[in-house]
Amino acid sequence: MELATNFIPLDTLDVTYLLVVGFIGGLVSGFIGSGGAFVLTPAMMSMGVPGIVAVASNICHKFPKALVGAIKRAKYGQVDVKLGIVVGISAEAGVLYGAHIQEIVHQSFGDAGSNLYVSLAFVVVLGVVGSYVLWDAIKMRHTAGNEPEKASCLARWVQSIHIPGTMVYFKSLNARVSVLFTIPLGFATGMLAATIAVGGFIGVPAMHYVLGAPSLMASATELVTAFVMGVGGTIKFSWSGLVDIRLAMIILAGSLFGIQLGAIGTTYVKPHMIKMVMGTIMVLVLFSRALAIPVYLSELELIDMLEPHFSGALLNISFVVLIAALAAGAAIVFASLWRGISTSRREAALATTPATMFAPDVVAMPTSPQLSPLGRFERFLLATDGSEYSAGAVRESLRMAGKCGARVRTISVVAGGDAELYAMGEQLITKELNTARAHLDDVQRQASAAGVACESEATQSGQVYQEIVSQAERMQADLIIMGRRGRHGLARLMVGPSTVRVIGHAHCNVLVVPRAAELVGRRFVVASDGSRFGDAAAVTAARLAKLCHTPITVVSVIRPEHSEERRREAHTIVGRIVSFLKQEGVVVEGIVPHGRPDEVIVQTANAKNSDLIILGSHGRTGLERVLLGGTSERVIDQARCAVLVVKSA
Amino acid sequence: MTDSNTQSAGKMLTRASVYGTVSLALYFLLYFFEDFILEFTSRGGWYFIAPVVIAFVFSYFHGAFTSHFWDTLGIKAKK
Repeated sequence: MELATNFIPLDTLDVTYLLVVGFIGGLVSGFIGSGGAFVLTPAMMSMGVPGIVAVASNICHKFPKALVGAIKRAKYGQVDVKLGIVVGISAEAGVLYGAHIQEIVHQSFGDAGSNLYVSLAFVVVLGVVGSYVLWDAIKMRHTAGNEPEKASCLARWVQSIHIPGTMVYFKSLNARVSVLFTIPLGFATGMLAATIAVGGFIGVPAMHYVLGAPSLMASATELVTAFVMGVGGTIKFSWSGLVDIRLAMIILAGSLFGIQLGAIGTTYVKPHMIKMVMGTIMVLVLFSRALAIPVYLSELELIDMLEPHFSGALLNISFVVLIAALAAGAAIVFASLWRGISTSRREAALATTPATMFAPDVVAMPTSPQLSPLGRFERFLLATDGSEYSAGAVRESLRMAGKCGARVRTISVVAGGDAELYAMGEQLITKELNTARAHLDDVQRQASAAGVACESEATQSGQVYQEIVSQAERMQADLIIMGRRGRHGLARLMVGPSTVRVIGHAHCNVLVVPRAAELVGRRFVVASDGSRFGDAAAVTAARLAKLCHTPITVVSVIRPEHSEERRREAHTIVGRIVSFLKQEGVVVEGIVPHGRPDEVIVQTANAKNSDLIILGSHGRTGLERVLLGGTSERVIDQARCAVLVVKSA
Repeated sequence: MTDSNTQSAGKMLTRASVYGTVSLALYFLLYFFEDFILEFTSRGGWYFIAPVVIAFVFSYFHGAFTSHFWDTLGIKAKK
């Protein structure tokens, strides 16, 4: 029997090509709910498959793929079937209308006009939606942390509108929403699917930003919508006998491997990663289509004719960027999956290792009626990496704990966020942890000898600073004590060592002790800029000075360019703190030197042979810290003595 | 504990093998009867049901196989 004229013979290379593209497409679809199929139609056409058969076969592979993906993600509790079906039904209408518009454009303007229409749709939709999704993903990454996603203002407004007779409850929204909102969204999704083959580029952002579904659920629910649309599309095309079932099933063979993997990947990532992948793909596809627009404009004679080789080059580059978009998305999914699985396995390995836990629910009786959290020194968290740089922190934390009667919890966090480390094997991790435990045992022996209550734990985390801050929160530490690495200047800001990040994120005070520093209570230097952070530093200094019977020098630095009013203000600040400290019974002196604050504070500490600098922290992190803050960091960098950074309550 | 893990790993491997064999058989049939299946599924009209049914059957067996395949390799969803 002869092959129908619409269908091409397939060789091994064609089959392999389709399997690979199908796998990558499936991977992306499983992760973001759609977006993996847009490259398949041009990929099949590049093999010589007629356009209409390519579209039909693509749709025929999409619906079973979406079904398998939806079932998989439903097992993880991410799918809202009702929302998917409601949006999917209206999307069917959108598909039919979108296809009708396509036909009209094709009849009126030919192939070039149709291509231009599709490319413009890509550029406009992806330009607006894609850039917003990417921007939102980047914003979430920097600000949201582990907080749950919040519904957008638009979604809250949509959920607040009550139109009798049209309200439906959706579990993903945990709210009732009028179908008068879901119908146009589904219709637009269908129209886009009929135009650029990926309705999810509207469907997922619409469910998330307009209706208020969490991004994970929006991407999973889109698979239901894609299934509904896919069944409708397949019936439509196969009614005309246009589906090449071989192509569809070969692509399906690869894509089902991919979609399972992509769905598994969603369980390991934070919500912003879904948006990151989707936004990245959308923006890259936008560039791909934008590159092709001049060619179609030229064919329609709307601009000067392009040289044939130039047109060909533009179209080739456009196709390569399209492939790159999919590859970039797949690479992010792979990386997220790899990182997530590695971390999860390490956590499982750690869970089986014995660990002595600190008992924070038993609060030690205060040694004095000190009720301010700023000056409380009852629970210390000592973070040590066992290196020579931590030696000062270990020594001085035990000395200070002895004076204050504090309990010490010592932790050693083995960094293990990078995939390479895990790739080197669990033996290496175990070895690192054993080394850390041996060091902690040594610290505990020192603590016992000094009569200090001490417990310890070796742990592992991708982000050392997060683990330290999180442990401090859990045990309600009054003070985190750390060592200092010898990194200075720009490298410090760029590399962002754990100490700096701990200061930025911790809610309690942080004491940074250089290797050779000693905290014997010769003299403390308290720096204040008159803000409440400076006041917090003064309160803490008063408490510590009374414990150690140490005199204090109060410093408020003024710059040469400061006005006379600012100079008077600095004197007032110093006078106020000096009065306060005197009332607390501390021996104190005040000075108002000129110069760069960080340099002058360190010089003063050196000149006074001080063994501790105490200053308040504005608690900035990230870019804001680099641009605005950083006095405390520079002091820590330059000081020979210990520096206590006081975090305002 | 180890025994139950070994048993469940064995079950998983058996299931993956069964679904994999069925899936492979389906693709072999598709290859062997390529011309007939292509002609039958492209007749149009009410024959539209053929590609839809084929897609469902393939997705059931091959979908189950791919799921067990990743499980067997130890790539599972985070609990």
